[in-house]
Amino acid sequence: MLPSERIDFSAIGQRSKLALPSGARLAVWVIVNIEEWDPTQRMPRTVLTPPAGGAPMPDIPNWAWHEYGNRVGFWRMLDVLDHFRIRAVLAINGSAISRYEPIASAALERGWEFIGHGFTQQSMQKVADEREDIRKTAAAIREFTGKHPRGWLGPGLTETWETPDLLVEEGFEYVCDWVLDDEPVLLATRTRPIVNLPYTQECNDVAMMLIQHHKASEYYDRAIDQFEQLYADAAQSARIMALVVHPYIMGAPHRLKYLHNVLSRLRDRRDVLFWTGAEILDWYLAQRGAG
Amino acid sequence: MIPRERCAYSAIVDRPPLKLPNRARIVVWTIVNLEFWSISRPMARQVLPAPTGEVFVPDVPNWSWHEYGMRVGVWRFFDLFARLGIRPTLSINARAARAYRSVARAARRAGWEFMGHAWEQMPIHKVDDQAEMIAKSLDTLARFAGTRPIGWLGPGLTETHDTPDLLAAAGIKYIGDWVYDDEPTEIKTTHGPLITLPYSVELNDIPMMLVQHHESAYFTQRCIDSFERLYREGAERAKVMAIAIHPYISGQPHRIKYLEAVYEHINRHEGVLHWNGVEILDWYLSARAAA
Repeated sequence: MLPSERIDFSAIGQRSKLALPSGARLAVWVIVNIEEWDPTQRMPRTVLTPPAGGAPMPDIPNWAWHEYGNRVGFWRMLDVLDHFRIRAVLAINGSAISRYEPIASAALERGWEFIGHGFTQQSMQKVADEREDIRKTAAAIREFTGKHPRGWLGPGLTETWETPDLLVEEGFEYVCDWVLDDEPVLLATRTRPIVNLPYTQECNDVAMMLIQHHKASEYYDRAIDQFEQLYADAAQSARIMALVVHPYIMGAPHRLKYLHNVLSRLRDRRDVLFWTGAEILDWYLAQRGAG
Repeated sequence: MIPRERCAYSAIVDRPPLKLPNRARIVVWTIVNLEFWSISRPMARQVLPAPTGEVFVPDVPNWSWHEYGMRVGVWRFFDLFARLGIRPTLSINARAARAYRSVARAARRAGWEFMGHAWEQMPIHKVDDQAEMIAKSLDTLARFAGTRPIGWLGPGLTETHDTPDLLAAAGIKYIGDWVYDDEPTEIKTTHGPLITLPYSVELNDIPMMLVQHHESAYFTQRCIDSFERLYREGAERAKVMAIAIHPYISGQPHRIKYLEAVYEHINRHEGVLHWNGVEILDWYLSARAAA
């Protein structure tokens, strides 16, 4: 289905007002992405290109650079999230749950929400059988957490024309790939609609650090600028703000403090909620019902 | 062997802490990289691609840009480290030792450790006979260093799936290619165990200056941010922080002061050891037995 068949254009100022509980203006959700990179394939991202360019295989240095996030970076990121008592959303490749079991256990113990993120870190357009991939990912999460996941984020936010249809049919209630709004929206599928939650490519360490090559401090500066504007916008209607991190990027020793400082600033505000995706979903569905 | 067959996933928090002597918190491992860029091939890196971006051979402007590091830049390093009393590890293409004899002699006189870094600067995938190249490189460096190197860094950290086996067979005891931890680790090879030391692609002037295009001053900031975090963590468990530099990059007149500023900052702290690769290896082998 084309995007225009799933959702009509809608200007944000012309919709009914959304209200958060207790007069809160903004709900922030923090998404931690855990991936498994297959050392026999091309690496999804690289920090170091080989001498004279090209892409010789295998690519051990970039595989190792990503692996650092799961061996070391995740654990210091966890200290920060624990410090601010934030329950994050773990977007995890299905295969990574058993591969990095200590990470999945740490998230489960803390009551984080698990959402599907593809079975492996590759474009959904390259997956041989998309339904099977979604099913395997959901099963891996269900077996580990005891609950079917409610949310889905495509690897690199990738989708085929069919992805939202398949997600609904496989029991998913929300998707995060459509970064087209500051509020949740409904997407039509060939069965019932699915909710899209406002994820971000803007306050996202992959885009900022690996593609745009900003200094680590820009993560802080941009998140605070984003926050202040959304907070002002929220005088009209509630807003959602996403913060996206990957342990191999923001979990590097030189970057961690900028994440810490963002959360420290936002945690100070009494009218800002830190929610999981499922909490945002339930609130949004109730708001729609009430509206 | 793929990486998983060499070493299982391990979360740093699940290991007993390693301790440094005299309650030191952190080891700073400085690696100076010297390369040989063959004028008959495309250059390993370019500061200035040709108009229209095509790759031409010979590429005299980029060859001479790198050559500047050997003629001028590296002598700024020798001055700096002599002043600081630091003896770095010298990661050197064996052909560079022959082509730049006075540089190799100066390193030996200054007591720097020689580490194998292939014959010349090209991806190791393109070497026809790796075992022969490794042997020739180590034999050549042994003549310049007086002892046969026991450490190895792949050119651009590149490896094929059998490189660690070939290195172990050639008598190499540690490698820097696996940037996946803050601590040394042990990996399997067909010729017994090999130790990985935490080299860095984060505190490394190639990704920072030539790939990500950061300003020179950011080198100081990123190194200090890393140091601050690792120094704090070093109260609980020993940390190793590698700084990887190249004379054609950090030896530039406009960049050298930012490198100097890193050491000025670090050396204001108690509990910092400046060790080379062999010293880190020896410590690790005894510290893990004690942990």
